[in-house]
Amino acid sequence: MNPIGRPAWVLIALMLSLAGGVANADVVAVVSAKSPIVALSKSQLADIFLGKTDRFPDGSQAVAIDQAEGSAARDEFYDKVAGKSAAQIKAFWSKIIFTGRGQPPPTVANATELRNRIRANPSVIGYLDRGMVDDSVRVVF
Amino acid sequence: MTSRRPAPLPRLTVLALAVVPAMGYRANAAEVDLYGATVSLNGFGTLGVVHSSNDKADFTATEFEPNGAGSSRSWSASVDSLIGAQLAATLTPKLSAVVQLIAQQNYDDTYWPHVEWANIKYQVTPDFDLRAGRVVMPTFLASDSRNVGYGHPWVRQPTELYSLNPITTLDGADTAYRLHPGPVTNTLQAAYGRNLSFRFPAENTVDARYAWGVFDSVEYGAALLRLGYLDSTIRLNSGAALFNALRQFGPQGSAIAANYQVVDKPITIETLGASYDPGHWFAMGEWLRSRSESFLGVSTGWYIGGGYRMGAFTPFLMHSQVTERISSSPGLSASSLPADLAPAVAALNAGLNALLASRPIQFSSTVGVRWDFIKDVDLKLQWDRLDLGAGSAGTLSNVQPGFQPGSRLYLLSAAVDFVF
Repeated sequence: MNPIGRPAWVLIALMLSLAGGVANADVVAVVSAKSPIVALSKSQLADIFLGKTDRFPDGSQAVAIDQAEGSAARDEFYDKVAGKSAAQIKAFWSKIIFTGRGQPPPTVANATELRNRIRANPSVIGYLDRGMVDDSVRVVF
Repeated sequence: MTSRRPAPLPRLTVLALAVVPAMGYRANAAEVDLYGATVSLNGFGTLGVVHSSNDKADFTATEFEPNGAGSSRSWSASVDSLIGAQLAATLTPKLSAVVQLIAQQNYDDTYWPHVEWANIKYQVTPDFDLRAGRVVMPTFLASDSRNVGYGHPWVRQPTELYSLNPITTLDGADTAYRLHPGPVTNTLQAAYGRNLSFRFPAENTVDARYAWGVFDSVEYGAALLRLGYLDSTIRLNSGAALFNALRQFGPQGSAIAANYQVVDKPITIETLGASYDPGHWFAMGEWLRSRSESFLGVSTGWYIGGGYRMGAFTPFLMHSQVTERISSSPGLSASSLPADLAPAVAALNAGLNALLASRPIQFSSTVGVRWDFIKDVDLKLQWDRLDLGAGSAGTLSNVQPGFQPGSRLYLLSAAVDFVF
């Protein structure tokens, strides 16, 4: 019997005992209050943020903007709409970037700047902690 | 389209070793504005080692590698290690350009980078683009990203399937057209071009004189289905000495050579791939059939694999295989030839049938784990069991005296992948 046959199974058994949990705050997808978009489904949001479409369901242009890498809101948003962790999202985009056929959404430094960008442009869609929502923006998911 | 490599010339993979510590794990790609054009630099790489339990033949990940793990060395860093850099420039909102360089082990055992892609893209509409230059040969589900280890759960794409088309790029043009019927995204792609062996040694060329293909992908939520058809005209140097000798035997020898030699012979590939990735687990599979009226014959490969994500750990399983419809030939008829040529005729006929039987048959089972241990870097451990088909050396190369065709071997691989 080959000596490298066994350790792999021991390793897998070890991994199976190390599952991690994810904390949950309340992050919502928002557009400008001036946008005609009222509601979006989880899969419509996932398609927009994963670059599969750059349109809202009504055909108007959709410009997704991300919060900074490593921010809690970003991690929770992708977990919620796509069921993907930060590392999975990074792996997903690394595949797309190196095809030369796409780039991930641009990022802003913080949530306040994102809210300003959403207010200023009815095409922009982003996500905020529910506490950041005011009259200038509309929750769509 | 398997072709065997020349004798090994051992040397260490120093390039990737030198680059990784210097890089650490930086956050994002560099992006600068130059006279209104946005230029971004992204990179990716893998530093991996592989051990094979069989020391009479080499395991390699691609057709381009002159040596690997096994007979050349017990642990090989050249099989999976590579580094790539991609420069992308957005010239106008509709016009952009991409150049991708990759340094990995070349057939001459150097690590000089080659130009994997260099193309200009015109975005006609947000859902319709045209590209020209050196573009991807989109044979497989992961053709676009096969070198980006960080984008995939396993250490390498399954060699059984991916060796069925060693050509990865086309000098030509391609186009993608996206449709959104309801919640579905349908992407139709077409490619046309040629590849004149820029990565193979002169004595072992694999030329695609021209190739064209049509591919359709349907995405619905976490599900993806992809269908493809690829038609190419191939010229291989493989077996040239044998076929030249056969031609010395008049019309019957020439007819045999014309029948089996791969000189401007069409090869058609039909492919079907699917994946489902709802988040906490994933599954994917691919099937491909390659057909040619030559000694290459009909090869069929497929794999199915999946994994389960638990925090930073992703254990995975995979089965992969390639099989070949082995044919035989009666070869030259000695009856019409002078009696003193009989030994030469017998030797050529044996050589011809050995070539017909040399196609890879291989079955592999894989188990491993990916660990996303820091941002933009993963560590993978993988164990493979390879069963070679009866009489076959599978996808192995550098076969040494004492090698047993049809045997079983094990691989142990460790790899660190990174993107920057």
